[in-house]
Amino acid sequence: MPVAETKIVSARFDDPDAKEIDAYERSGGYRAARKAVRMDPAEIAAEVKASNLRGRGGAGFPTGVKWGFVPKDADTVYLVVNADESEPGTFKDRHILFWDPHLLIEGMICASRALRVKNAYIYMRGEMMREYQVVQRALDQAYAKGYLGRRIFGSDMDLDITIYRGAGAYICGEETALLSSLEGGRGWPRLKPPFPAVKGLFGKPTVVNNVETIANCGFIVEHGGAAFAALGTERSGGTRLLSVCGHVERPGVYEVTMQTTGRELIEEVCGGIRGGRKVKGVIPGGVSMPVLLPDELDVPFEFDALQRDERIREVEVHPGRKFDLGGGRTLRTMAGSGGVVVMDETTDMTRALWRILHFFHDESCGQCTPCREGTGWLVSVAKRIAFGAGKPGDVELLADIADGIAGNTICALGDAAAWPTLAFLTKYRDEFQAKIPKGRAAVQAPATAAGANV
Amino acid sequence: MTALKLSDEIEQKIAQMWPRFPEDRVRKVLCLPVLYMASQQFGRVDEAVIRLVAERLELPPAHVRGVATFYTMIETGEVGEFHLQICTNIGCMLEGAYDVLEHCKKRLSIEKNHGTSPDGKVTVSEVECLAACGFGPVAQIAQKGKPDIPLYFEKLDEARMDQIIDALCEGRVPVELGV
Repeated sequence: MPVAETKIVSARFDDPDAKEIDAYERSGGYRAARKAVRMDPAEIAAEVKASNLRGRGGAGFPTGVKWGFVPKDADTVYLVVNADESEPGTFKDRHILFWDPHLLIEGMICASRALRVKNAYIYMRGEMMREYQVVQRALDQAYAKGYLGRRIFGSDMDLDITIYRGAGAYICGEETALLSSLEGGRGWPRLKPPFPAVKGLFGKPTVVNNVETIANCGFIVEHGGAAFAALGTERSGGTRLLSVCGHVERPGVYEVTMQTTGRELIEEVCGGIRGGRKVKGVIPGGVSMPVLLPDELDVPFEFDALQRDERIREVEVHPGRKFDLGGGRTLRTMAGSGGVVVMDETTDMTRALWRILHFFHDESCGQCTPCREGTGWLVSVAKRIAFGAGKPGDVELLADIADGIAGNTICALGDAAAWPTLAFLTKYRDEFQAKIPKGRAAVQAPATAAGANV
Repeated sequence: MTALKLSDEIEQKIAQMWPRFPEDRVRKVLCLPVLYMASQQFGRVDEAVIRLVAERLELPPAHVRGVATFYTMIETGEVGEFHLQICTNIGCMLEGAYDVLEHCKKRLSIEKNHGTSPDGKVTVSEVECLAACGFGPVAQIAQKGKPDIPLYFEKLDEARMDQIIDALCEGRVPVELGV
């Protein structure tokens, strides 16, 4: 069964009453929090470690290990929930925030107990105005009941949760940029190390976790890490929330098992490709992740499989020269943020890549030259190819620019622009070459993007 | 000219948020929320608003200016009474967002992206992903000097966009079309 039978984070989706604290409690809510506030913090941390919960924001890093980096003797530790969901193709966290805000708050209480946090923040993207109102109302209800504030649930634990709203900057989803923004500055990423767990918000140890990651913590506290781990694969516990958009019959947000393959997701969960057409490419985890060809879709859409399964081709810089991810590792693709973009056979891949690169150029924070300048070069070359004004050698040029950005920037935004470029060129090379006029270009790239739909 | 003054709502926000952050950091922390609310109060953040915020929070104007120009939701340029923001990123593009965008620009006689209709009523901007990719094309609307409109306008086509533009031209936000 691709759709998860045990629903952890989507159980209350489409139930408009679940936003109210009383209805949430009637359906079993705040049981985990009541248990957590009387547990030994180390015990909660051990359960999370045993659960094999991995970060759902993009990197898939084991949550328990991340928590373990916080120094044991720290006097102040902050928890920051990353609700800055803005990776194109991704719209799952917004569903949790809107449909089940108390699930997030409950998860934050559990995580705060484990990490000895007294002040937790939700960094929410500014455009989510509807979700801000819903979550703020839920927080107010929780304060009124004594589930937040001083001596919560009558225990010895104090916890304040504050929403901090972003104001339109994709880069603030990167955890160190998020901290720069939460401190009231420009969303500029910082060099790691030091990692936030050691030196984060206001210079104090800070854990930054994605909304879905934290929303799983209540289940882990209530049912134990082993129960959560058992739902998943060997190294990835629980279920996964995927958002699917593009040319499928039923786009939407689905909680699926870790074993679900891309083909099952498209055919069984989303009703197949619209109009009986054929699939041409699928981006498995937000637009920064390498695209998959139709014959690569029988791989589970899960952290390890997408990275290692040999049925997925390795990304190349030029034909025969594999892209080096560092230390000789090659790149297939990654699970990323769970944003699945499905493109059917009518899609012009040159235009799809151009629009993706337009995004990264727009959102580059400007600190690092390879990214600030490189994304601009990428978009201008991709644009002229996409609009029929490419020059001989442009495909090679595009690949060389991308290779020059990757690995040479403070944060991963540079990689996020380079990887899809190289993957599109590796997998749809002939289509890009065919778009380039032979000899001197006969047309100029248009100034506007009129008619740019693919 | 009367001196600019931050609204009572902004002062309330400052008072609410102040105790939630370390005393030695809170002024800088408040820079972003105060700028965003000032952008709504005054319709845009110009040099006078930057100085007002800097003075209120005891921050260097250069810092406030740096923040104001970094975030797209803090309006530093001239915009119309309504700001129609249409996502054209990949999910929306696959559903025809560029056709919708061009249709809006044509109907409102706007030539460039982030341009305003000749009557000054509507500014149309192409924006990046709004995190509603399964329901595209998606748009969001802001009204000058007014609080947030907590709605997305989803599954847009030219006909639905015409209804939205008709309402905006009448001077109202078509909340019945939003979710």
